[in-house]
Formats: sequence, C-alpha cells, structure tokens
Amino acid sequence: MLPFISAMLAFSAVALMLTLVLSKKHSRGIAVTAAFLMLLTTIAMLYISVLAGHVGFTESYAYISSLMITFGFNVGAVSLILLLMSSAVLLVASLSGNPERSRPKTSCLLIELFQISAIGLFSSANLFMFFIFWSIGVVSMFLMINVLGSSNRMRASINFLIYELFAGALILFGIMLIYFHTPLRSFDIQYIISNASSINPTTQALIFLALFVGFMIGMPIFPMHLWLPDAHAEASTQGSMLLSGIFTQFSAFGMLLLFTMLPVSSKYAAYVAALATVSAVYSALVLLRQSDIKRIVAYSSMAGMGIILLGCSASSISTSGALFAIFSQGLTAALLFLAAGSIKHIFGEHDIRLLKGAVVDAGPTVYAFLAGALALVGFPLTTGFVGYLLIFLEAVHAFGAYGAVALLAPLLVGAYLYFTISSSMLSSKGHSDSVGLIGSTQYLGYALLLLSIFLFGILPYILLGLLKT
Amino acid sequence: MLPLFVALALAAVLARSKLAAFLLSSVLLAAETAVSAYLLYANADLLLFNAFQISGFSMLFALLFSFMLLLVNLLVYKYSKDYAEHLLMLGFVLAGAVMVPAATSMLMLFICLELIAVPTAFMMLLAGEHHIEATVKFFIMSAVAIAVFSFALALIFPYSAQMGISALSANPNIGGNALIVLALILFVAALGFGAELFPFNLWVPDVYEGAHSYVTAMLAGVNKTVAFVALLEIIFIVFAAYKATFSSIALLLSVATMFFGNLVALAQKSIKRLLAYSSISQAGYLLIGFVVASPFGIEASIFQLIAHSFMIIGAFAIVLWLESRGLRTLDDYGGLNSRNRFAAASLTLLLLSMAGIPPLMGFVGKFLLFSSAVDSGMLILAALGILNSFISVFYYARVISAMYSTTEHSHLKTEPFVAAVVVVTLAVILVFGIYPQPLIAVAQLASKALLGA
Repeated sequence: MLPFISAMLAFSAVALMLTLVLSKKHSRGIAVTAAFLMLLTTIAMLYISVLAGHVGFTESYAYISSLMITFGFNVGAVSLILLLMSSAVLLVASLSGNPERSRPKTSCLLIELFQISAIGLFSSANLFMFFIFWSIGVVSMFLMINVLGSSNRMRASINFLIYELFAGALILFGIMLIYFHTPLRSFDIQYIISNASSINPTTQALIFLALFVGFMIGMPIFPMHLWLPDAHAEASTQGSMLLSGIFTQFSAFGMLLLFTMLPVSSKYAAYVAALATVSAVYSALVLLRQSDIKRIVAYSSMAGMGIILLGCSASSISTSGALFAIFSQGLTAALLFLAAGSIKHIFGEHDIRLLKGAVVDAGPTVYAFLAGALALVGFPLTTGFVGYLLIFLEAVHAFGAYGAVALLAPLLVGAYLYFTISSSMLSSKGHSDSVGLIGSTQYLGYALLLLSIFLFGILPYILLGLLKT
Repeated sequence: MLPLFVALALAAVLARSKLAAFLLSSVLLAAETAVSAYLLYANADLLLFNAFQISGFSMLFALLFSFMLLLVNLLVYKYSKDYAEHLLMLGFVLAGAVMVPAATSMLMLFICLELIAVPTAFMMLLAGEHHIEATVKFFIMSAVAIAVFSFALALIFPYSAQMGISALSANPNIGGNALIVLALILFVAALGFGAELFPFNLWVPDVYEGAHSYVTAMLAGVNKTVAFVALLEIIFIVFAAYKATFSSIALLLSVATMFFGNLVALAQKSIKRLLAYSSISQAGYLLIGFVVASPFGIEASIFQLIAHSFMIIGAFAIVLWLESRGLRTLDDYGGLNSRNRFAAASLTLLLLSMAGIPPLMGFVGKFLLFSSAVDSGMLILAALGILNSFISVFYYARVISAMYSTTEHSHLKTEPFVAAVVVVTLAVILVFGIYPQPLIAVAQLASKALLGA
C-alpha cells in the first residue's frame, strides 16, 4: 500500500516551505496546487477503496517508543469521507476564498498549515496524533483570525484562543486518563474501542466529561458557543470557511470518536440529546435577531452542529447520519461563507437588510447563497437532506417523539432565511450599488462546492456504501 | 576536559584582539561540547581524579551547559563592552556548571555553586554602572543561598564525616532523623533561590529586568538549570531515604510556583518581566517530575530542563536584540511583524513552545511531566499543571497578538549573531518537538545513571 497520508502531509509541508521562501506572486498557485493534490489523493484513495470493497489505509512509524506512541495513521471509511470533505473545502478556500487578494502570502501559509492539521487529524490512528494536529489547527485558525481578520479581530481571536485552548486542556487531560487506564497503556483508537470496557465506570465518567466538554466547546454547543459569532464575523472569508467548514468538524469528529470509544457514553445519551436539542433550537432563536450576513451564517451553522450532536448521541447506528451531516455541514457552511464573503466584497455591505436587489448585480453569488441555505436546512436532493433524514430517523428510534423536537431548528432557520433573503437580496424594491468585482475563480468555487453537495445528495450511497464495507 | 577550561581562561587573558579571543573561545566551547557529546554517546562511566563522575547524567548536562554557553558567548561578543573580562567570567561559569552534575562530594557541589554565582554577579556589573541595583540584589540573594547551603551541610556533618554524595546516600545515620529533614528543607531553600521556586524567587523579575539581557539569558538558561541539577543530585541520591517527605514539600512548592508565575505574569507590561514570570512558572512544571519522584518523572524533568534552556535562551536573545533598539514593553512590540518578520515569527514559535503547544519541544516536555503525574496516580497535580498551562496561554497570546496587530513602517535590521542563536534554538525545539524520541532516550539514560550511581 502506498503511503498516501505521509505523501499528503509531505507535499503540504513542501508547499508551506515553498510559500515561505518564494515571492508572494506564487503563493496562491502553490496553495491551490497543494489543495488540488490533496483532493486528487483522496479521490484516488476513494477509488482504490471502492474497487477493493473495503477502506483501510494504515501507516505507522516509530515516534516515542518508550511510551509506545506511534506516528500512526489509520484511514477508515469515516476518515476518508471527512478527508474528501476537507480537501474540497480547502481547495475552494485557497482558490476563491480571497477575492480581495489581500495579504496572499500570509493567508496561503496559514491555509497550508491548516491543511496539514486537517489531513493529520482526520486520519490519525491514535489520540496523541489527534491532539497534536488539533492544536496545530487551533494555532493556525487563531493566526488566521488574528492576522487577517477585520477591525475587531483582536478580541475575537483572543476569545477564540482562550475557548479552544481550554478545550485543548480538557482533551489532553481526557486522553491522558484513557492512556493510563487502558490495560496496555495505549493511545491507539482501535485498541481503545475494543478495550475501553475494562476501564472502571467512575474513571470513564470523568474521561467522558472532560472530552465531552472539550469537544462541546469546539463544535460549538450552547452554552459554550460564545466564541463563535465574533470569530466568524471577524475572520476573513477564507478564515470563516475553514473555521466552519473544517475546524468545527474536528470536534464533531471527536464527538463521534468519543461515543464510539467509551461504553459509558450510552448512559448519558439522553442528556446529550437534550442538550443538543436545546443548542439547536437556541441558536435558531438567536438567529432571528441577526442582520449581519456572516453572523446569520454562523448561527445557522451552529444550529446544524446541534443536530449533528443529536446524531452522535442517538446510538451507534447513527454514525452514518451524523457523519453524513458533518460532511454536508462542512461543504454547505463553507459555501455560505464564501458567498457571504463575496457579497460583502461586491457591495461593501454586510447588513442583509440593506442588500436590496443584490440578485441583479451578483446573480450567481446570490443563487449560490440560496442553494447553500437550502442545503443547510436539509432540502431534498442535497447532502443536508440525507444527513438530517438519517439523524432524525435514528433519533426518533432512540428517544421516541422527543427525538424529533430538534426538527424545530431547521424549520426556524429555513423560515427565517426564506423571509430575509426574499425581502432583501431577491427583492425588487430597491437596488444596491456594487463596489467590487469578483473573478471567474469565484464561480468555479461555487460550482465545485455545489457539485459535491448535489452529487452526494442525489447519490448518497457512494458514501454510505463505504460505511457498510 | 579540564585542560579546556584552563585554555578558555588563558584565551581570555592572552588573546590580543577581541575577534581572536571570540573565535578561540568558540572553538574551545565547541570542542568541550563535542567531547561531552562523545562521552555521552560512548556511554562512558568512570571516576576522574576521585572527584568527577563521568556518567550519562553528568555528560548530558555538560553537553547542554557548554552548548548553552557557546550560544551565550555569541551574544556576549556582540553586545558587551569588555569582552575579555566577560570571557574570563564565562570560563568560570562553564567550569562550575560542568562540574556540578559530575561532582561526587557535597563540598565540590558547594564550591561549584559559588564558582557560578560570583562570576555571574561580576558579569552583571561589567555590563555597566546602571546594572548595579540588579547586581547587588543578585549578589545578596546568592550569598544568602550559599549561607543556607553551608548551614545545611553543617547539620548533616555530625552524622557523617564523609561528604561524598554516594557515601552520604549509603550512610545509615542519614535515614529517619528530624535534624536531617531540616537539612533537607534548607538544601531545598538554598537551591530554591537558583531554581526560582516560590517563595524564594521574589528577586527573579527585578534581576532579570535589571541585568543586561545576555546575562539574563545566561541566568535563565544556565544558572537555573544548574540549580535544578544540583537539586536532582541532592534529593535523589543523598536524601533518597526521604523521597516521600520531599515529595510533599515539592508538591506545595510546585503548585505555588506555577500559580505564582502564571498569575503574576498576566499583569506584566515589560517583556523581560513577563518572561521572568514565565520562567518561574516553568520551574513549577519542572518540579512536577520531582514530586512524582519515579524514574519516569525524573526523565521528564530532565527533558523539560533541556527544552526550557533552549526556549528561554532563544527568547532572551530576541529580547536582547530588540532592547538594543529600544523596544522594551508590550506596546513597543506592537507591529513587530511588519518591522521584522523573522523576529516576530521566531518569537511566536518560542512562546508557543513555552505555552506547550504541539508539535514543539515545550509540549513534549510538559506532556511527559503531566503523564508521569497521572502515571503515579497524582491526577490532581496533572490537572493543576494543565490548568496552569492553559492560564499561561493568556499572556503568551497577548504578546503574539501584539506583534501581529498593527503595521509599523520603520524596518528593523536582522542581527546575524542573534539570528544564529535563534535559528539554533528554533531548530532544536522543532526537531525534538516533532521527533522527541532520541532526546527522551538520552534523558532515560541520564536518569538511570543518576539513580544508579
């Protein structure tokens, strides 16, 4: 088996070095090439897996041998799907996420660093690697907000860092507890899944609490979400795309792992589901008071994260639902932020009420936004529909009628988005003047994301089939 | 090795020109580094002149100290006025520092500690009249520490006429004795001055800020490590019977030091004071390995000692250079990225490493320390350590975000000597951060050599 993961990490690192030494003319080209290579590698892995009938790419190198920690990667179906999603988002972010072309070198450097973190995290075979790549992700996201953000970026980035590092501290504590309480002292995820039942229940509860709160901050779930609106509103378009498209999915992936790893987690499933419902409905309600276009997207994606958590909690069979929703959420949130960023760039305005008749001057962008909004609320034929359908089926199966309460959130989000968009961007009662232009790469970006959203929305069994094998 | 010290001192005195002295001393320090690296590699274990124990432990630290002083030498050469005098002092410090881990008797340890403290004070004074306040503070504190140390020595003398470290360890009179416990506490207090343990560290910020930054770099990178090395030898060899007693003392000291360093650092405006408090908090983390007192804990402490020395010397090298351009406070560092990308990027990496962010060396060290605590069932200690590292992020992030916040237009030229030091330290923290196994193996070797001796 070819070392795909190391290859991906290696060319991302090479891209990082090249960007660092070459002049800023070349930065964007290098970043796009690196992301494109990542996408190609992932597609190649997907192709090989489909042919072989099963997904299994493992690599392992010596790392800290005295503690039996390996530098190991294990790509199963879950990891492969997430890698596919993140490579698409990364490609679009580096291709079209920066219509202003501001500070190309710094932004490309940070995207490449973030790419390394995404590759490593989604394919990590052990929790130690997971934590290391998670922290690289936090630092690159922090710098992305801090260096490239807009006027209020200082406060937003420090807020982000504080929340995320607190989460990091909890995760570190949790994985160290797991390590020292498994019989053979191991960080290996597969080993932990098969041996976690031997950890005593009190310790398991402590581990669950530490990791749950850690991932809850990262996702984010009410009441740990306070970093989210500012971070999204102040980050650059690329920053928001990666933040909502990939970074928050890190924690969602962590949640999935947590619920698969610890047997004790099924005991808390009902509480977690209740919290998830509260979080989803809460963010939908807060959304009703927003008018800043980026904040609108931020709160609607937070509602989506609540539903993903509901999916994680609703027993192990729902892995497919939660996973599909993560896949969909990553693509849609990235698309929405890309479109929102472009609208902001074209009209120089981020209050949605003032964007009257935007569709006249920026048709494709507004339609892309609309399509993204539909996918986000789970409109049929999009990936969002498949994800939500699976999650709610499983939630109702697990919790009865209570499982469906969270359905209120997509309904509210959908209704609000429908009324706001139709009375502003699609309205014919006024006309906003455009102040900026966007290039054809923007359209390519929308096309790529929309293509994946509809392709896997219409043909979900490509991915679901992988999970079955 | 001894001839090398003599040669270094002679070089300082005899060399005609500053440049020749610098080149000669660098070559000698490099030779010293190479010799200790060779002995470490060959895993030599022999007794030299009945006074020096050449072992994995002593050679690892000899290697570290000579390499650190090689870096300090670069800074001193660039920024000091009377280079020859400084070089002489550096020679003394080197001799003391290298002999501490190799010492076989308490008296030797005592002399070596003095051999380091006095020349350091001289170096502070040589840097200029306006450093006199810091010098006096440091001198008085060292004098008190040495007095306490000798009093502790006097307390164990009635029970053992032999002052050899291993002889003391084997002496049956040492175990289970209240007066000896007092001696133990006094030793901890005496070395606590140098190791910056709370509450013996109140001099640290003033002296760090008042001294010229190359001396500060040496204080934080070499002198502090020496104190920890001496502590390792005294606690784990001489007082091996009192492990449990010391463990509870160290627990208090460790937690207090971490919280003191991190909480006070939050309020600092001056970069040097901020780094001083950060260095104090690192002393708290380092002590976790002492609390755990298992071979794993000691190994973790040794690893983190090395990591800390590199991080802090790199950071103070940048501070030294920027200070010479008039940048002292957090506000002065605003927009540093637009004035000199190299300085901002490398300081960011160094600070992130101190904060314990992977994949940098500081993370591996902290991870080993906290793991050793969990390993011995001290969950609360590990949790407090993690909490502290989280608190520390606040002030590191403030510096980092200040450097990238605004845009300034006056460009700063990169200083080659400082750049060399910084590049070396960055290379070390990156290489051993990404692939720590070789250094962990060496730390294991050293901890075995220490405990086996």
